This record gives sequence, C-alpha cells and structure tokens, in this order.
Amino acid sequence: MLTRFFILVGSRLISFMYFLGGLGTLAFQTIYLTFTPPFKKDRVFEQAKKAGYDSLPIVALVSLFIGFIFALQTAYFMQRIGSEIYIASMVALSIVRELGPVITALIVAGRVGAAITAELGSMQVTEQIDALETLAANPVKYLVVPRFLALSVMLPLLTLYSDAIGILGGYIICVFRLGISSSMYIKVTTEALFYKDLFTGLFKTIFFGMIIALVSCYEGFNVQGGAEGVGQATTRSVVVTFIMIIIADCFFTAMFYFIFP
Amino acid sequence: MIFGKTKLELKVGIFVFIGLFILAVFVLSIGGVKTWASGYKVNLIFNFVNGVKRGAPVRFAGVDVGEVRSIKFFHAPQDLKTKVRIVCWLRKDVSVPLDSVVWINTLGLLGEKYVEIMPGRDYKNILKPGHDLTGEDPIPMNEVMKEAKNIADNINIGVARIINKEGTVGKLLFDDKIYNELEAAVTDIRNNPWKLFWKTKEKK
Amino acid sequence: MIEISGLHKALGGHKVLNGVYLKIEKGKTCVIIGRSGCGKSVLLKHIVGILKPDKGKVVVDGQEVGALNEKELDALRLKMGLVFQGGALFDSMTVGENVGFGLIEYNHLPHRKLLERIEESLALVGLHGIANLMPSELSGGMRKRVALARAICIKPQIILYDEPTTGVDPITADSINELIKSLHDKLKVTSIVVTHDMKSAYKVADKISMLYHGKIIAEGNSEEIQNTKNPIVHQFINGLAVGPITETLERFK
Repeated sequence: MLTRFFILVGSRLISFMYFLGGLGTLAFQTIYLTFTPPFKKDRVFEQAKKAGYDSLPIVALVSLFIGFIFALQTAYFMQRIGSEIYIASMVALSIVRELGPVITALIVAGRVGAAITAELGSMQVTEQIDALETLAANPVKYLVVPRFLALSVMLPLLTLYSDAIGILGGYIICVFRLGISSSMYIKVTTEALFYKDLFTGLFKTIFFGMIIALVSCYEGFNVQGGAEGVGQATTRSVVVTFIMIIIADCFFTAMFYFIFP
Repeated sequence: MIFGKTKLELKVGIFVFIGLFILAVFVLSIGGVKTWASGYKVNLIFNFVNGVKRGAPVRFAGVDVGEVRSIKFFHAPQDLKTKVRIVCWLRKDVSVPLDSVVWINTLGLLGEKYVEIMPGRDYKNILKPGHDLTGEDPIPMNEVMKEAKNIADNINIGVARIINKEGTVGKLLFDDKIYNELEAAVTDIRNNPWKLFWKTKEKK
Repeated sequence: MIEISGLHKALGGHKVLNGVYLKIEKGKTCVIIGRSGCGKSVLLKHIVGILKPDKGKVVVDGQEVGALNEKELDALRLKMGLVFQGGALFDSMTVGENVGFGLIEYNHLPHRKLLERIEESLALVGLHGIANLMPSELSGGMRKRVALARAICIKPQIILYDEPTTGVDPITADSINELIKSLHDKLKVTSIVVTHDMKSAYKVADKISMLYHGKIIAEGNSEEIQNTKNPIVHQFINGLAVGPITETLERFK
C-alpha cells in the first residue's frame, strides 16, 4: 500500500520533471528561433489577429461587467462608512493592478490557448508536423514562434483595453447609479493611479502571454492517440496554463511589492 | 494567407493603434500634466515632520500647488539638533512670501499628511528657488497629551480639597453650621417679624 | 543512393526496428512490403531524419542523416519528398499553398513562376484547377494526389511514398502507380514505396524487400519474390490467413 503510494508520487514527480524539461527546452528553442532569420511577418499577423483582435469582444464584455460588479460590491461597504468617493480609487487600483491583467490572461488562455493546443494536436495526429519537417520547415519556428510573439505582444494590449473598459464600467455605476459626479470620478481615478500600478500590471501580462503560448504549443506537440488525445491535451493545456498564470501572478505581485513598495 | 492580401494587417493595425491610444491616455492622465509643467524647488526646514511622505501634496492657501520630492536629515550645528529638510516642488506661478507660515497638516478621513502653507503679506520678499524656509513644527500628540494631563492634575487637586472639606467651597458644601444658623434665623424672624425693624441700642 | 545499416529503433519500449540493412541504388524504385504496424513508416521517417536511430545509421547521398546539423538536414530534406499515408495536408492553407509550400518557404520565386510550378505539379497528378480549394473540400483520393503533388513540386531526387495506394479506388490506385513509374522513368528519381498492396508493388518495383519483425527477411525483383521459397514471404504476398506469420501469433496466444 505504502510502496504503491510512493511509486505513484514518484512517477508523478518524474512526469512533472519531464514536463518542466520539455517546456524549458521549447522555451529556449522558441526564444532562440525568434531572433534567427528568416522572419515571416504574415504568420505573426495572423496569430496576432486571432489572439488580440478576435479576443477583444469577450475581453471587453467581461471587463465591463467586472467593472460594474466591483463598483457595486465596493459601494456596499463604502456607503456604510460614508466615503463613496473612494469607490473610484478601489475600482481603478484593483482593475489596473490585478483584475485586468489576470482576467484577460485567463480569457485568452481559455480561448486562444485551447485553440492552439487543439490545432497543433490535430496537426500532430494527422502527421502535419512531420510533413512540415520533411518540407524543411522547423515546426517550432513555423508554429510556435508566431504564436509566442503574437501572444506576448497582444496580451498587454488587450489588458489595456480591459483596464480602460473596466474603469468605464465602474464609472457607469458610480455616475449613473450612485450619483457621484463625472469629473469627481475621473479626478479620483487619476489621483489613485500611479505609473507603477499601470506598468507592473502590464509587465506581467507579457509573461502570461509567453506562458499561454508555450504551454499550449507544448501540449499540442505532445498529443498522442487521435481525437481523444487532442481533447485530453486541450483540457490539460488550459488547466496547466491557469495554474501557471496564477502562480506567476503571485510571484510578480510579491516581487513588485518588495521592489516598488 | 500566402497568396492575396486579406484585411489582416488592417485589423491588427487598428487594434494596436487603439491599444496604444489607451496607453497614451492612461500615461497622460495618471501623471497629470504637472510632470511636464515647469516649476521650482524650495527647501522647508522642520524639527519634526509627523510622517510626511514623498509625493505628499503641498497646499498654498488651501490649493494644491506642488508635492514633496524628497525628505532628508541634516545636522544643524547652530542649534545642535537634527533637523529635517523637505524638498518641495512648487508650480512656477506660485510665489511664497518669506513671512508665510508653513506647517504639516492632516487631511480628512485617512489621516494623510500634507504640507500647508498659509501665505504671508510681505510680497516684496518672496522665497526664491533652492532657498530655505523654516516651518512651524506640528505639535506632537504626546505634548498635547502632556498639556491635557497638567490641566487634569490641577482640577484633581481642587476637587480633592473640596472632598476633604478644605477651603471655602469645601466648607460651604460639607459644613451644616451655616445652614443651621440660617434656618434658625429665618424661624426667628418669622416668629418675631418686628425684629427686622427693631434696632438694638448701641452704646455711644 | 540510400544505404541503411544495422538500424535499431525502439518506440515506447517496443522494438520496432531490429537491425535493418537495406541498399537502394540511385534511380531505382524499391518497394518495402510488410504487415501493418511492422515499422515501415518508422523506417521512412528515419530516412528523412524525423526520427533518430537508437543504433546504426542511414546514409543518403554520402551523408549520414543522424549526424547532420539543422541546416545540412534541411538542405538534404529539400532533395527528398515524402508522401504521407493520410496526405498530411496543412488544413489551414489552400491546396495551392500546400503544393507550393516548399517553394514559398525556401525559393524566392516570382509569383507567376510559383503559380506555374504549382499548376504543373497538380497537372502531373491529374488535378489541375483546384489550387484555390481547401483540403477539407477534397476526397481522400484527391488528398493523396495533392500530397504527391506537394512532394514533387520541389523537384526532389528521392521520393518516399507511404502507402500511396491505400484507401483509394482501383482506378486512382493504378494512375498513382503509373505516376510513380513515369516519375522514375522521366525524372530518374530514386523512389521508396512502402505498401502492402502487392499489385502496386509488382507494377512499380525494381526491387522488393520484405520487412518482418524489424528485419529485412527477403529481397529480390518482382519475379524472384513471386517465386519465393520463403514461407513467410509466400504467405504474405499471397494473402493467406494460415501460415508461419499467423502461427507465431497463435503460439503466443
């Protein structure tokens, strides 16, 4: 019984090490190949459209509602202590520092990351990745690099949209429901935010983008066994990406807390 | 993808452009225009600054006109004391007379500290960039407490004497003698009202 | 010229190739026959360098495939075309883009020339005028032919076919056989055809090799194979349910 437990834990640990090793190798290759010619901008643009432009509606919708919800929830307490005006600062700070980046990253992980794993997984299953190799196109260069670049550039941009729309959501609730004057809301928001809030929020999304691209490509490449394998890999890719994003977020938050107190 | 242009570039381009526009709006509104506005720095000298932080606002006649840029200790040899020099950035159009009163004040609910400048009258001598102005020290809370304690002590002594039936008030409150005599006198007068008009003969 | 010597490969703990020796002369067509899952496709993947041998080596045109660096390997691959079993067409691209893939990526041909080459390759496999369709709109046989067009578009010196006639109707199968023959005759390409379709094997082969249990157990031209004394080969080429191949399985049961 006990030995079986240890064998289970050990095999899990070993497969985790394989995963980390594979992911690290892929990350290294990707970064190396990102900076080696030839550079083809078409594929990057295509992925940028898929990751950024196409994700905008859902990111905007979710951010708007997060703004609404956050303003109302904050209002519940702020009205009790009679300082409604601080709702604006609370909304602005939480959205710009935390909610905007993380919500955007999670949406993109679910929407784009899953699609990448499914696409690359089916390519693997139908031997298209082998076909790429026989046609002398490096699959990492051809498939991973454009996604990596597109996601790590598009995610900060999407986060900017999310920040702006989230604050707009807070504005709508405060100005039209809670009777705070429009100019007051804008003034308190701009006073509450500092550059470091904006840039620490955006900085970490670059890494979230890289995590999404690398994990979903890795899982896609390692699909085994047909359609079922693609499904499993997609699920695993989303789960792993979520976990890694949250851990990375915690890490960055702690780091910035100590670097920029 | 490879043959024929789609509207891919256009879409991505619009997306990036609006994103950068939002970034610009954020950057400009967060920093406020004050980062680009010109101004000058002055030094304010305090013995005690009660926890003012960098970036705290400076108010001149109640209007925000600048912020605290740095806070440093220095040793003033003439007073043999450690003092604090607060470097403040002020807007260019603000001129502070040298007889202005400067102190650290506390703002509102959250107890945020800021530098208050009450303008003086002498606009012939104004504070020049880089020059010093000595501020009035805020009264630290423990000194307020000390003062309050003194007052309370004094009251205590008085009350103690009253309780101990000492002094005029004490006797007035606790001694029945006056009351008894007063009552006797009233009874006497009621019984013999003529006594009010009767005048004892005095020997000449 | 392709020379394989002492090739060993294990996949997932299972020994797939167990010491394969094979020599294919330049300009000849070699057919490798064997049961499904006996490692024929794995052998092809070693020749193009997608898989690395555990032991032994593969030498193509005097270069050892496993020892080449990325650049040399890419240069070598551009001399080879591999036709995958299921086609392996890139389904995010049109047929034209698929066929021209190698040229688009590596040769900077002018646009018109590119289109000409694509049309030419598609015409060779009898499919002109479909360059703007997507692979998902094609039938299985058409996909196979498009895959063939993609392989010949880069004008390779060696073409490897992975079961080119499996899953297509007999007429298409025969036209593919004709195509393999004509490419061999006209362009002098070296071909390796992996198949278990014996009709096709007899038609195109200069040499037939049988792969069994990770080894080449018999070699010879069509007639030699047809008149073989080897009971295993005899059972396989005649498609008999009873014989030494199935007996080993019986014994395991």
